Amino acid sequence: MRALKKFAEVDRRYLYLLLLIVVIVPLVKPLGIPIDVSSSTMKFVNAVDSLQPGDRMLLVFDYSIGGGPDVDPQAQVVMAHALSKGAKVVCVAFVDTGLQYATKAIEFWEKRGKVYGEDMINLGYAAGAETAVSAFAQDIRAVFPTDVRGKRLDEYPIMQGIKNAGDFKLIAEFATGIPGPAEWIRQVQTRYKVPLACGVVAVMGPQNEPYLQSGQLVGLLGGGLKSAAEYEIAVKMPGAATAAMDAQSLGHVAIVLFVILGNIVFIIEKSEEKSKKPTRK
Amino acid sequence: MTTAITWAGAICTIAIYSFLWKENRLFRAFQNLYVGLAAGYGIILAVRIVQRQVWNPLTTKGDYSVLIPTILGILLYARFSKKWAWVARLPMAFLMGIGAALSMKAIESDFVRQIQATLIPWNSFNNIIVVFGTILSLSYFFFTLKPRPALDNMARVGRWVLMVSFGAAFGNAVQGRLSLLIAQMQFMLRDWLHLIK
Repeated sequence: MRALKKFAEVDRRYLYLLLLIVVIVPLVKPLGIPIDVSSSTMKFVNAVDSLQPGDRMLLVFDYSIGGGPDVDPQAQVVMAHALSKGAKVVCVAFVDTGLQYATKAIEFWEKRGKVYGEDMINLGYAAGAETAVSAFAQDIRAVFPTDVRGKRLDEYPIMQGIKNAGDFKLIAEFATGIPGPAEWIRQVQTRYKVPLACGVVAVMGPQNEPYLQSGQLVGLLGGGLKSAAEYEIAVKMPGAATAAMDAQSLGHVAIVLFVILGNIVFIIEKSEEKSKKPTRK
Repeated sequence: MTTAITWAGAICTIAIYSFLWKENRLFRAFQNLYVGLAAGYGIILAVRIVQRQVWNPLTTKGDYSVLIPTILGILLYARFSKKWAWVARLPMAFLMGIGAALSMKAIESDFVRQIQATLIPWNSFNNIIVVFGTILSLSYFFFTLKPRPALDNMARVGRWVLMVSFGAAFGNAVQGRLSLLIAQMQFMLRDWLHLIK
């Protein structure tokens, strides 16, 4: 009992240190804890798998720097999967920092032999959130007359025959806020009936589950980094997310233990306070 | 090889995490640096957008229609003047109108389709949870009926359903925050210290 009460008085910096150790150790020495692939991730994998060589997919980088570590591994593995299927990827961002991630992804694949303008393209960033999404869906060239490199879209083979959002075989939207799945469903999926799959930061996962259940989304990566790891396992492309899962699991165990111990101490202190109170006779 | 950018990233990481030890000048300096970088980046993007959406169509195509949204946008800044603040209401009203019109599409996507998705057969435990969870959660928000024992009990159970969903969201929030720490540690151990591949 006394030890538990001492725990409540521990300097919180020791808890931070403990959490840091719990995260770093499995990164250096992986434990190989098995990862199960959820049905929502499998649906996303199947949606990308159904793409035929030459099909155009829109990849939307609507995520901020703050949520990037959670969502970027999802976007990276989905792009890798789509390109491995021979699909062509059109990148775009409606969140300013998303443009940086899109540029990084394009540069990564250019170094690995993919041709800009044929296999993939980066349209750039458009301000205006939901309004911009709606305008883009209606007429892509009205919002992006040129790509990020300043050339007209018609000059690129990948953009031939693409006029509005309905011309894509699949839209993969990755978001950390607004615009997110709700905005894309409202402005694009409902109107153009194009298959839409989303990857979101973990905290947004539960609130977007109803869209998957209703069939408005064809796939959902709702668990942040964990969903990215599931995707990597499903398509046999293990990467940074898979390597991080041991650290994530052990980190969760540590946090759950902190929560349980904290609650036990809280209950003990509360019952002691109650017993100390003078009773009326 | 560790590049100067990697070193800069590592120093920024240490400076920001130093807040966990205690509030300090190094943390504040890097926090200000981050805010400044974000603002600078935003301004550059805004300039590029104006160039692409306004300047280029105006100078190359002679498309004067782009002046209408540009003027409306400039009018938003009238709010900084006490005398002319009322002018900012014009573009604001325009924006409100667009926002309302765009939101109308939610009637189908968030209302009709979600109700349809709840009309499912009670042939599995998950389906039963979906149907009754939705009804019980909604019963918590019935404020127009007089309190009755049956409705009160439904609302009480509905509150538990809501708390379970909040718990799931909180759990996922914790998971997300841990992901940020892990990603940063991967950067430090892999790119900076070369301890992992």
